[in-house]
Amino acid sequence: MSDRTVSESVSAASPAAAPAETAPPGGAWALLVSELTVLFRRRRTWALLLALAAVPVLIAVAVRLSSQEPTPGRGPPFLDQVTQNGLFVAVTGLIVSIPLFLPLTVGVVAGDTIAGEAGLGTLRYLLAAPAGRVWLLVVKYIGAAVFCLAATLAVVTAGVLAGLAFFPVGPLTLLSGDTISLSESFLRALLIAGYVTVSLLGLSAIGLFFSTLTVVPVGAMAATIVLSVVAQVLDSLPQLDWLHPWLFSHYWLDFADLLRQPIDFTSFGANALLQGGYLLVFGALAYGRFVTKDILS
Amino acid sequence: MSRTWLKWMPAVAVPAVIVAGVLAVPLQAGAAVDLPDKTPQEVLELAAGSTVDTLSGTLEQTSELGLPEIPSTGDAATAEFADALDLLTGSHTVRVYQNGPDQSRVQVQDTMSERNLIRNGSDLWLYDSADNTAAHTTLPADTADQAAPGYTPSELAETFLAEVTPSTDVTLGENTQVAGRAAYELVLTPNTDDTLVGSVSIAVDSETGLPLRVQVEARDAAEPAVSVAFTSLSLDAPPADLFAFTPPAGATVTEETLPTKDHAGHPEGEPSGVTVLGTGWDAVVVMPAGADAAALAELTASPLYSQLTDAVDGGRALSTTLMSVLITDDGRIFAGSVPVERLQDAAAQE
Repeated sequence: MSDRTVSESVSAASPAAAPAETAPPGGAWALLVSELTVLFRRRRTWALLLALAAVPVLIAVAVRLSSQEPTPGRGPPFLDQVTQNGLFVAVTGLIVSIPLFLPLTVGVVAGDTIAGEAGLGTLRYLLAAPAGRVWLLVVKYIGAAVFCLAATLAVVTAGVLAGLAFFPVGPLTLLSGDTISLSESFLRALLIAGYVTVSLLGLSAIGLFFSTLTVVPVGAMAATIVLSVVAQVLDSLPQLDWLHPWLFSHYWLDFADLLRQPIDFTSFGANALLQGGYLLVFGALAYGRFVTKDILS
Repeated sequence: MSRTWLKWMPAVAVPAVIVAGVLAVPLQAGAAVDLPDKTPQEVLELAAGSTVDTLSGTLEQTSELGLPEIPSTGDAATAEFADALDLLTGSHTVRVYQNGPDQSRVQVQDTMSERNLIRNGSDLWLYDSADNTAAHTTLPADTADQAAPGYTPSELAETFLAEVTPSTDVTLGENTQVAGRAAYELVLTPNTDDTLVGSVSIAVDSETGLPLRVQVEARDAAEPAVSVAFTSLSLDAPPADLFAFTPPAGATVTEETLPTKDHAGHPEGEPSGVTVLGTGWDAVVVMPAGADAAALAELTASPLYSQLTDAVDGGRALSTTLMSVLITDDGRIFAGSVPVERLQDAAAQE
């Protein structure tokens, strides 16, 4: 994005502003820092992260307290492995969270980005800062993306800690039957966290776009969450298999490829490409909407 | 007004660029591949002379046989039956590694699990992560040369190339590109109307003669009924530790004596009494009554059996786009790449 576009969008926001006004790097970074600070100071953000962290802990406690051993093939994948290796608590926690809990929390944060400020009447103050609308949009998206990472890490970290607390932890058995050392297991856990974070970037971009459409944040949140459910329902209909590779949720559960030996990065690449496509399309839509919008609140 | 229009430009341009990119990639892959001219006979010799024995690659296998989707839940017998049919329906991603004649590893990737077949010298391991079981077999010494993983296009291609008889027209299709490698395309067309097979296309690597893709098309079908193709391929030797397998802690390990090379559940070797009627594409395999009565009884008792087969004159028939099976009321089994009617004729004449 060139300075020219930025200054253009600023002058569109406030026609009276001086034409020479461009984003000073210092002020722009200050906006990002303040956005992240506000995001992670909110009680709601921490409530969402704690709710996510509770998922693997609940799984671990339930398996620990239950007298009956989980049988292979019943319940979520890897559940039967949990008693043998606590690290699988994190993996099972992610598998359980991916269809609903993670999209739910990401939908709340991404849907709130612009609409929340508009609803509170603070959007025009943010735009009064000389950084410009485009930079504000970018900052809001970065905030949502950082939340995706925090949400995923909340599940993985809580899962690993619960696994360490309740079950023996040792060398990890991969899907291929090979066993890897503990340090390599942590590396794979981080890779999986990275995969899931990337998986949620497309949904965040959709939420950002919805958020520019309305001043009612709940509407944008609900629309984002509903869309994530609709995408998964469509993905499960075999009649629509031509559409499946285009759905942002298509590769969500394929992070299991990172648990194969040798490690398989094919789905990681395909997922990143797909999410990048969603980011570009919905980023462009959000740009079109946001820079042409009359900001009244 | 024109400025507003400009602001929406990226929202129009980005999807347009993406669509253009998506359309351009297959066009590029399908662009004419320039290879020295060869006759079909020379390509057949090239394929026959292939000496590749180290490779690592990823295969995409799809089957569109017109079978209904098999539910993977149910009682044990149903699950076992569904497991056997699993490789005949839908699509699978399979990674294959081979190092020399007696080291190979085949990984069938499922969504949250993986099936591994590992051969290292005379040790054969079968590991299924879905139920965490491992089966070990010691191969007799004389099987040393049969190392080719059962899933590769080479093995499938060999089966069809062995069929190249006077009943087959061999032609060359457009040169093609598979897994980034230039290839000749052999097209085998049966010149009889009695078979369900429309044509078989085999993409032969122009450098090494290794079959890279095999597609079997049913008569009058637009999509290949069966397709096995490399999506990526390297001819370097894979790391040696891939073939050293020890079952993981906690796995259920069984020791098997019979070589069950084929994971799909068919034991190696044909039961006694099996005869073949005719030769070539429209041959019919006949299994007399009582040859494998126990297995047949188990099969017919499965609820899937009545779901998959249709009642026809003289028995029940399973018909797919590529193959038909007739199980007569007196327990004989007829199978072949022919319409059900031909199987019924054969059953009546026997």
